[in-house]
Order: sequence, then C-alpha cells, then structure tokens
Amino acid sequence: MTSAQLEVLLQTLISGLLLGGLYALIGIGMTLIMGVMKIINLAHGELMMVGMYVAYVLFSSFHIDPYLSILIAAPLLFILGVLLQKYLVNPVLKVDAIIPENQVILTVGIGMVLSNIATMIFSSDYKTTPVEYATKAWYLSDYWKASPIELSLSMPWSVSFVFALLITLGLWFFLTKTDMGKSIRATAQDKDAALMMGVNVERMRVFTFGLGSAIVGAAGCLFIPIYYLYPDLGGQFTLIAFVITILGGLGSTIGAIVGGLILGIFESLTSTYIGMGWAPVGRFAIFVAALIFIPGGIVSVLKRRRLSR
Amino acid sequence: MKRLSLAALTLFIFSLFVPYVFAADTFDLVIPLPLTGKQAKFGEMMKKSYEIAAEEINAKGGIKKKKLNLTFEDSGAKPETARAIVEKLIDTKKQPIIVGEYTSACAKAVAAVAEERKTPYLVVASADDDITQKNYKYVFRQNPVNAHYSDGVIDFIQKVVKPKTMAILFESSAFGTSGADAMEKDAARAGIKVLLKEKYEAGSVDFKPLLSKVKAAQPEVIYMVSYVMDASLLMKQIKELRIDAKLFAGGAAGFAIPEFIDNAKDAAEYVITATLWSPQLKYAGAKEYAEKYKKKYGDYPSYHGASAYSALFVTKDAMERAKDWTPDGIRAALKATKLTTAFGPVQFEDKEGYQNQNFTDTLVLQVIKGEHETIWPEKYASKKYLYPIPTWRDRRGTAQAGGIN
Repeated sequence: MTSAQLEVLLQTLISGLLLGGLYALIGIGMTLIMGVMKIINLAHGELMMVGMYVAYVLFSSFHIDPYLSILIAAPLLFILGVLLQKYLVNPVLKVDAIIPENQVILTVGIGMVLSNIATMIFSSDYKTTPVEYATKAWYLSDYWKASPIELSLSMPWSVSFVFALLITLGLWFFLTKTDMGKSIRATAQDKDAALMMGVNVERMRVFTFGLGSAIVGAAGCLFIPIYYLYPDLGGQFTLIAFVITILGGLGSTIGAIVGGLILGIFESLTSTYIGMGWAPVGRFAIFVAALIFIPGGIVSVLKRRRLSR
Repeated sequence: MKRLSLAALTLFIFSLFVPYVFAADTFDLVIPLPLTGKQAKFGEMMKKSYEIAAEEINAKGGIKKKKLNLTFEDSGAKPETARAIVEKLIDTKKQPIIVGEYTSACAKAVAAVAEERKTPYLVVASADDDITQKNYKYVFRQNPVNAHYSDGVIDFIQKVVKPKTMAILFESSAFGTSGADAMEKDAARAGIKVLLKEKYEAGSVDFKPLLSKVKAAQPEVIYMVSYVMDASLLMKQIKELRIDAKLFAGGAAGFAIPEFIDNAKDAAEYVITATLWSPQLKYAGAKEYAEKYKKKYGDYPSYHGASAYSALFVTKDAMERAKDWTPDGIRAALKATKLTTAFGPVQFEDKEGYQNQNFTDTLVLQVIKGEHETIWPEKYASKKYLYPIPTWRDRRGTAQAGGIN
C-alpha cells in the first residue's frame, strides 16, 4: 500500500467514524421510542428538522452558537415530544383500528404536518448557520512536519462528534444508574411485569417519547453547523435512523451506537471504494442483510457471545 | 319538481357561458413549478420572476388587451406530479400553451404530455439535452442545452489554464449526468484526461471520502455539476481537505446563484462557474429586471429567474403573432419567434440534432471578493479573471482580511 492509498483509507475511516457518531445519536432516539412504545416513530427526522430550526432561529436572531442552542432545543423538543405522545399517539394507541400499527401511520402524518408548518413559517429556502469555524480543520502536517501523509480533521465535525459522544454517555448513565432510567428499561423489556412492579408505564411512555425527541433535537443542533436545513430534510434522516434501529436490534441503545458507527464507516468506505452514488444502495444492502442474517440486530449477536462464554 | 329541474337546467346552461364571459378580459396561465422539496429554492425564484414579468405585461395592456392572470401549481420537483398537473391543464382547462417547470426530470415528463396532446410547451430552465432531441414538434426550449452549458468554461480552461487532467463530480440526476457527460466529451476533444468521473446522491452529508479519492488522483481541474447546497458543501469540504487543484469549476445551477457564496463563504473564492446569464449582461432589460428583483427580494436573481422572466415575454410575443389562440396557432408563432429578451436573443432552431432549441452564448463567472463577476468570454467581462489561484494553505490570512461577508 502506497502512502497515497493509506492516506485515502485513513481519511475515509476518519470521515466514517465522525459520521457514524452522529448517525448513532439520531438512531438512539428512535431506538428508545421503539423499545418502550413498540412503534417506529416515522416523524423522527422531522423532529430533528424542528431541532435544527430552533438552532437556526437562535443563531440568526440572537447569535447563539448552534452548539449552545442544544440547551434550548433539547428541552423544547422534549416538551413537543411529550405533547405529541400525550395528545396524539396515546389516544390512537387505545383505539382498536382496522389497520394494525395505526400509530405508525399517525407518526407519518405528524411528520408531514411538521414539515409543512416549517415550510409555512420559514419558506422552503435552504438555511444555514454560517459559523466562523465552519471550514476550520486540523492538519496532521501542521503538527508533524515530516509526516508522509496529510490527514485533516474538521473542527465542527469533531466537535459535533464529541458532543454526540457525551450525550450518548449521559443517556447510558441515565438509563443504567437512575431510577427513572431503570423504569424505562423495565417498561421496554416487559411492560406487564413493569406494571406489576409499580412502574407507571403510561408516564414512562410519555417521558420516553419526550426523551427520544430531545435527543434527536440535540442531534439536529449538532448537524446544522456541518450541513444545511430545509423543511423536507426529515425523510432521509428518518430512513437512516430506521436502518440503524433495525441493524442495532430493535430497542437497544448499545445496538444503536454500534449500528450507527457501522453504517457511517460502511457508507464512507462505499463512497471511496465503490462510488458515492452507491452509498444509498449500500445502506439498503446493510438493511436487508441485517433483516436476513441477524434479525435480532447487533445486540442479539452481543448477547449470544455473552451467553456462550 | 318540474320547475326546480328547469331552474337547475337554466343554471347549468348559464354556467356553461360563465367561462366565456370571464375569458373575454383575462388570459389565465397556470405555471407548474417546484415550490416545495429540494428544488423549491429555484421554483420560488422563478415564480417571483414570472410575477414581475406579468406585472410589466399587464401594466402595458396585457396580451392583446387581455389581462394576464398567473397562477402557480406546485409539482414538488416530482415528475409524476408535474405530469398530472399538465394533463389537467390541457385536458380540463384547455390551456393552449404550457410554460414552466424546472428540473429536467419534470420537464421531460411535461414535454411528453404536451407532445402527446399537441400543445406547445416552452421549457424555461431545464437543461437535459434529451428534451429537445426527441423530434418533438411542440416542445420549445429557451435556455441552452446542457451540452453547451460548459462551452464558456471549456473555452476558458483551454485558453487560460491548459490542464492535462481533470476530475468530474456530478449529482446523480438527469441534469448532473448529462452535464458530466457533456464535459467528458469536451475534455476528450480538448485532449484533457479525465482521471475520475464520480457521481453522488444529491443531499449527501459527507463528501470527504469521495474528495480524498479525488485528492489522491491529483487532477489539475475539478469540475462539478451540482445544485446549490451540494455545491457549497463540496467547496467547504475541499477546503477542509486542502485539495489544491489549479482550478475549481462548476457547471452552472448551484454554483451560479448568490446562495452559493453565502453558504460556502471564503471556500467559494476563485471558483469559476458556467452560467447562462448574469445581471451584468448588456441585453436590453436585463439590468432593469435584476434591479427590480433585487429591490423587491433583496438579492440578485440567477439565470433561472431571468429565463423565467423572459419566457413570459416570449409567450406574449408568440400569442400576439398567433393567428388564433389554439395550440397549433401558438406553436406556429413560437416557431417563428425572433425576439431579444432580457435573457438574450431567443430564436428556436433545428440544428445539431436538436429541435426548437434556442442557442445563446454561455458565460463564465468567477467568485472574486465574495461576488460573482463575469470573466469570460472577454467581450462580456465585468472584471479580469484571477488565475492562477493560491493554494489553500496560502489563502488563510488573505481570505479573512479580504472581508468576505
């Protein structure tokens, strides 16, 4: 392998890892909701879009840095999620409908309404938050003069990645160490048993929907400095979150993290070595492969390992 | 009961006459456009431009004393929606001419419907060569075809840059693909070796894997065919990776509109792009239109807007010359069009395998100090081109000091 080839490979892996970290954060929100509610929230990408608009408004009218706006966007999205769950999803959950999974269809509708409201308020123009550090990057040759290869590490991408990591860690801590988190996990594992143990399942559901929305809203704030924003952007991220949820194993947080990283790295490798036009094909290939070969997702593989040991 | 049905019958008969009564003083034109979705940006710009044109036409007495009444239908850049809208316009509303659409995919769908139903269709800003190569009798195109978009750029590259190698990046749409194919052929003719020809999916987040491959190939020129946000992301990430080509060139669309500079900021500096029109051109009405647009909406329009604006004047001109307002009457008049608009001269010719195609000079713009300046062909130039361009490493201080806003 020549140094040029090595450079391409390493740069690809760096990009894949950074992208994967962000994908994981988008996936976790959906996976959480999936775990507790047993429904796929197809308005997930649209909730992210709402988070991004919050960041955009804060930036353009108050010059608040998109990363800081997580502190505002996440609570706002939490409230939005809670309201959606309480007044839209829950009532539908209770009704016997002709079509099964009618809540899923409801989430599609919620998504449409959200993106159309965004179009009405902000028009369908592309929006960005032109931060000063948008194209700043660290270069290997700046630190190691004799380096045979040149690698660059984008500053906003790295910052977003670190934030994604912190949020994920925080979530993991919350789910494993706190009472509330344990109740959520109990609800996800066995709703009836949790109910008998005195867990307020209804409240957990509402809370989880809020939490899932807050996380994806935060992901939106992390995305806006490196990407851009328009009302119809939700769909592609819903799709990504969906693939990650399936890949990771429905409802598993660890699975979503590993799934996100795998998807990010896989997409980058496909872009470099097969062709960027093939990246969406690769995404579907992974999706189908996960459904056929590991229907339980990555988490089932991890569990099997642990059991056989 | 009998009286009631009689009354209903009378009402019904009257209602048949109603459209004719109203038709006497207005001419309704419904324009299909993408107003939602990824291409909405361009759709809006064109909508505003159509409106400015309609205002001017009506201020001067409309078309043959009939007030031009515009309405817009959103196709969302989806060919099937565009198709349905136009089928409705022709079959139900009997609109004798179709103007509009933006993406090539939609224009293709609309062209097929228009041809099938023998109604003239004026293509305004869709570039895919195919559209006017199918021996369609009723499809007219005002903007130059994709194969010619890059004429100016390739001329500039050959005369100024004289490179040996090139990389072509393009989005996987009809527009992107045909633009890349055209450039590949032009490059082969000019003896430039294409090291890499890669497509990507519009709306991608991360171009760095692709770009690091480009970097390893070390092309002298990087030519990109993209819509707006991809264009700025590409340049930003090129800056991040410090890919030092001798020239970064864009194939119109995304690179040629002000948003490109707003979003890519200093990464946009020195990038050249093909374009079909610029407010700096000296066609009668070009500057007035651009200023009017800027005054109203705060930014200069790109060629999309100018083409839309002029399309209504072409329509007006054809309808005034048409012996009757039937599809065939208007078709015959369109065919004989010879008009100078704000967009440039318009004349529909059959040549080079195209039918009813307008051919105009294409221009080259360069981003100089955060503004698009016309640099090529030199007779149209508003500023002298900047070449060679500095490497990314050397740009650091200068770009910031240069005050790119």
